[in-house]
Amino acid sequence: MTKFILRRIVRGLTALFLFQSLLFALIYALPYDFSAFIIGGGPTLRQLIQRQLGLDQSFAEQYFGWLWDFLRLDLGESFLYWPTPVSTVIFNRLPRTLLLFLPAVVIAYLLGIWLGKVIAWHRGGVLEFGVTLVAIASYTSFAPWLAFLIVNIFGWHLGWLPYRRLVDHNIWFNAPVTVDWLLSHLVATAVLAGGAVLLVWRITHRHVRPGPARWALRLGTVALSSATAWAWWVQSGMGYLAQDVLSHLTLPLLTVVLLSFGETMMMMRTSMLETMSEDYVLMARAKGLPEKRIRDHHAARNAILPVITRLALNLPFVLVGSLVIELVFQWHAMGKVIFDAIEWQDIPVLMGILSVVGMLAVLAHVVLDILYVYLDPRLRYVERGA
Amino acid sequence: MERPVKTYTRRGWWHNRLSRLGLSWRRLRENIQSLLSHPLGLTGVILVAIFGSMVLAHPILMATVWPPRLYDPILGFDSTVMPHPTPPSWRHLLGTDGMGRDVLSQLLAGARTSFSVGFLSAIVAVTISTLVGGIAGYYDGALDAALMGIADVFVLLPAPVVLLVFGLLLRMEWPVVAVAYGVLAGLGTQAIVVKSHTLTIKAKPFIEAAIIAGGGKGHVIHRHILPGLLPLTIVHAVFTVVGAVLTESLLAFFSRTSYYLSWGMMIWVGQQTFRLFTIEGQWHAIASPAIAIMLFCSAFYLIGRALDDVINPRLRRR
Repeated sequence: MTKFILRRIVRGLTALFLFQSLLFALIYALPYDFSAFIIGGGPTLRQLIQRQLGLDQSFAEQYFGWLWDFLRLDLGESFLYWPTPVSTVIFNRLPRTLLLFLPAVVIAYLLGIWLGKVIAWHRGGVLEFGVTLVAIASYTSFAPWLAFLIVNIFGWHLGWLPYRRLVDHNIWFNAPVTVDWLLSHLVATAVLAGGAVLLVWRITHRHVRPGPARWALRLGTVALSSATAWAWWVQSGMGYLAQDVLSHLTLPLLTVVLLSFGETMMMMRTSMLETMSEDYVLMARAKGLPEKRIRDHHAARNAILPVITRLALNLPFVLVGSLVIELVFQWHAMGKVIFDAIEWQDIPVLMGILSVVGMLAVLAHVVLDILYVYLDPRLRYVERGA
Repeated sequence: MERPVKTYTRRGWWHNRLSRLGLSWRRLRENIQSLLSHPLGLTGVILVAIFGSMVLAHPILMATVWPPRLYDPILGFDSTVMPHPTPPSWRHLLGTDGMGRDVLSQLLAGARTSFSVGFLSAIVAVTISTLVGGIAGYYDGALDAALMGIADVFVLLPAPVVLLVFGLLLRMEWPVVAVAYGVLAGLGTQAIVVKSHTLTIKAKPFIEAAIIAGGGKGHVIHRHILPGLLPLTIVHAVFTVVGAVLTESLLAFFSRTSYYLSWGMMIWVGQQTFRLFTIEGQWHAIASPAIAIMLFCSAFYLIGRALDDVINPRLRRR
């Protein structure tokens, strides 16, 4: 087991090293020169800027310098916002992306898992046909077009919700806090409230008999935690700001959910169909258990594992996959940073974001592999045999 | 040194080939039949057939009813209707875009680009993933480790972002976009899946039987491993088409490609003039290519899912 873990970690580190090298080579091949963006000043100023940014160094110097800095977790300074460190640029914008995409991904996965479960159970019916068509249409729709439609219908014609930017400047005029402060507190509130609900859900699942009492407890917790969160925001005097941010959040959230739940649904359906032909499902049916219980507790519980694995593997890419939606809704977060970095040759920021994503993805792969071997004795046997 | 046993019958090599062909044709026909009896698969096939007929219709229409001066997808301009963009009319069934070109003609011509991009990248992706995954699965040791090392790296590269960065480096024509997407898709997840599938095939008893019967490496790979990989390969190819067309449209929409005709480019041109007009004036210039992209990708996605249902034995209905 230890040997396997070590080998897996070494493999992950090798992949990370190769990834960094590939990234570096790719970006080094770009024929552009950041100092060319400086208008006026002549060749002397350009040389000065090149020297200051380290652009006049040789390939080897730049490459090994970059690797060494990366080892020390120093991502360097941004060209565009010189001399702000890249990590600051990233962490300033990170809460915005997380606020939009974590809830979106969670909702999309819950919706996808539930729908996938249902349509697998009713295989071959009209329900499956209709739901699949709608889900696939929304999954394969062109992201800017879907966003554009949603903006036009809900934002423009109906005028229900704002659809541009993170906040309304008129409301935020003379606001006592910064947007980032508010965002981080919103994320914290969501995590605390969600965590409380989840905890109670698990505890009641274990210790309280199924029935009205259990549901009363659960719904009570949901009501209590949301009431607490609401009361806290009201007494803090910044409720109107939070409301503004949340109303700006709704439409992009809807778009992301529509774009991503279809894939989860199809994955869950496939996985569910595979489990449904297992013997223990037949056994459950032979015992005379109700259909709903077989579906939820025997088939779906086992089918969910590959879907969750996929979620863990995909999470790091949320940071870069958000590009289009963020641009359409003018949601100035990671996607905007990446796009600006591409547009303005802000190489350290681009490399920084991609390598952070790569690092997180490698971490997810390694941890999942180790977890799988730890949880599944059959894999452990294979590993020992190999 | 024992010699490999010849596997064909005394009736000769050609007869053997032909009967094999007949067998595989029968299996193919059965699979196609079960695909067509699958409602989702049938929907997908019908949609793809419609898009295919669009590709065929364009040159015919251009040669017969559409004078090229007015209806050419790139250079056409209709000076009798003004101002452009004009809404749908009998003269221009889907209206014209901001540059006075017929949207329907562009839509039909764009279908060809989408098919080309999709098929080229699917072929590239599938060839690469079968080669890399198959070799890594069949041969152990250093080769396996090296190839999987490469796959581990490519899993980490998000294709749209990489291609956006590439878009700075060179103005890409559609074949470049297609091949680049194919390489990124094929070397990443697909290669890893093919490898694990190869491993499961390799452990099957019939491989051992073939080796004991005297089959060489070439024979085993050609006759037993590749046919076993074929279903997976087809499913991968179909999903690559979806990803490639979506990515290409996205790149064209951000004008990161060179200026060729595609649906993404049509949307880009449409939204260039968008700010000057209200949505009622020119929804057609954006909506038609966007809906075409959606239907095209949905069609291939549906076929992929249906094929998965038909081919994957674990998903077959009991």
